[in-house]
Amino acid sequence: MTMNNANLSIEQIDALQEIVNIAMGQAGDSLARVLDSFVRLSVPRIRLINAPQISQYIAEIVGDAEQITAMRQSFYNNFCGEALTLFSSEGCRDLAPLMGYQQPLDAETEKELLFDISNILVGACLNGIAEQLGADLNFSAPSIMAANVASSQLFSPDTLPWAYALQVEVNFSLEDHKFKSHLIIMLAEDAIIALGDSLNSFIEAI
Amino acid sequence: MATPILVVDDSGMSRKLVIKSLPVNWDVEIHQACNGQEALALYREGKAHIIFLDLTMPIMDGFEVLEAIKREGLNAFVIVISADVQPKAQERVKELGAIAFLKKPIKAEEVLHVLKEHGLL
Repeated sequence: MTMNNANLSIEQIDALQEIVNIAMGQAGDSLARVLDSFVRLSVPRIRLINAPQISQYIAEIVGDAEQITAMRQSFYNNFCGEALTLFSSEGCRDLAPLMGYQQPLDAETEKELLFDISNILVGACLNGIAEQLGADLNFSAPSIMAANVASSQLFSPDTLPWAYALQVEVNFSLEDHKFKSHLIIMLAEDAIIALGDSLNSFIEAI
Repeated sequence: MATPILVVDDSGMSRKLVIKSLPVNWDVEIHQACNGQEALALYREGKAHIIFLDLTMPIMDGFEVLEAIKREGLNAFVIVISADVQPKAQERVKELGAIAFLKKPIKAEEVLHVLKEHGLL
């Protein structure tokens, strides 16, 4: 598969990186307020990849051996796509007391906790991006994509509805806790093109 | 003599935005670094009377730069410019000797205010 139709230049990626950096700072701040804890932010890494390669990249980020739980949340309006939030299963359980939940967690409560965290991260991150680009986004409710699976089992490449994954690798971790999460934004081809146009306007305005 | 200032950020675009936000006609000699390690090297060469410092960077982050500068006698005015806006991040950098914490995206009037407040203009 080639990427002739949708591509981002180095300059566009650099602009997007800084936009994401600001957005994830806001997401981290929201999370820190909810958890009353200091959130460590990594340098966001941005890569545009072909969607079928995504399993391989996810394995790279989270490690093959790790059991993960994934939430998906779609967004639409100026850009259409889907945001995936990946959590290590162990880290989720670690988060429960900080969110005020009693241990051990039953499946229903764990789900509720993941919805909350996913909403915070996806909402703050994507709204932050949209705001800086002067775009509007709406969100559907999050749903569980997979619970406690190996990273390699998360996707079957044939069933992905998106041609491209804008791999926005945003890592949030908590000091003294095992919680870690990764955010990945999946975009359709025309959304990448629309994003490129918005980035050009942003760059020109600097 | 022009004041040596150092702009530290891993993003080229972000450095550009910081430089654009500096007061016009300010007599400065601008140096740039894209991680903490480069920043410290320039600081030790005396090329950083005022430092505009990002926090989230590869190799060596802004917190580590502040720690090193503090250890070495804090011979610079450090203004942190960060996307990490958590109150705890702000507290930490102040404890480490930064004179101000500005949120990204940076605004020229905020830079001007901090520089005036500390008599750096």
